[in-house]
Amino acid sequence: MNEDAKLHSAARQLGAAAAERIDVERIASRVVERLREQPTATGRPAWLQPAWLRIAAAVVVLVGGGLMVRQFGRPQNVHGAHFVTDDLTDLTADQLRDVLNTLDETLNVGSTTLPEGDLEDLDAQQLQAVLRSLEG
Amino acid sequence: MAQPQPLTEPAPDAALIAAWQRGDEQAAAELVRRHARALARFLAGAGAPEADLEDLVQEALIRAFRAVDRFRGQCQFRTWLLTIGGNVLKDHGRRAQRHKVVPLDEGLAAKDGDPHERAEAGEAEARLAKGVGALPRLQREVFLLRAQQGLEYDEIAAALDTTAGAARVHYHHAVKRLKERLQ
Repeated sequence: MNEDAKLHSAARQLGAAAAERIDVERIASRVVERLREQPTATGRPAWLQPAWLRIAAAVVVLVGGGLMVRQFGRPQNVHGAHFVTDDLTDLTADQLRDVLNTLDETLNVGSTTLPEGDLEDLDAQQLQAVLRSLEG
Repeated sequence: MAQPQPLTEPAPDAALIAAWQRGDEQAAAELVRRHARALARFLAGAGAPEADLEDLVQEALIRAFRAVDRFRGQCQFRTWLLTIGGNVLKDHGRRAQRHKVVPLDEGLAAKDGDPHERAEAGEAEARLAKGVGALPRLQREVFLLRAQQGLEYDEIAAALDTTAGAARVHYHHAVKRLKERLQ
């Protein structure tokens, strides 16, 4: 027998004994059972394959996480509270009185109606304080 | 007088595959009975540890049934199944982080004949198994499909998505290496 024939003969025997020892019926019943438990991917669109689902989930987590970081990582209000009355510091007492009177007319709320006489006695600083208190 | 039962041809694989796709579990079981042993022989020859052989056969069959829609009949069902077995074995090897050669215990050696010849045959088989296990994957698969399973180059090429010429080259490289190892 030449070398090639010997090699072929040995190759034909390779794994044969181990294969004889497997229990084919047991494998058949296990395979059928597993196919029943986890139905085949037959008919499932390619985009629904588990690999694609995993990739899609990873993208959602990354994008969602990024948005969350941007949303909550941003400083809430770097300027702090801003009062309109801060812009009134340059106004004179008369001008402030006019603003208060205008406000009084515009809002026209009984309980907060400003006593005109009292405003006449206030200086600029006090008028600003009144305006600030109205702003809350 | 009892009439003899008419002899019926076994259903071809294609018919069983179609029946399984319609939900016939018995068709799937019949395909397993038909091909499990050849698959086990291929896997054992390629280095699958005997302790894991049934699990690997089972896994390859499950993968094949789940992917059967992609089988276009380019080769025989068995050949296609063997290539899936090759992938399963590769994954198993990765998981195990080692490359094992099938251990040749007492059971693998022939029990009849002259004890000296038996020992010699066992030793030759062990060396061949080691040699096959050391081949690059494509060479190993082509060698086993050709020498162990007796397939033609065209069939091997169709299963491995290559050309018959390339399959022939891989086979000859494999044989050359194995001869060197067995000398």
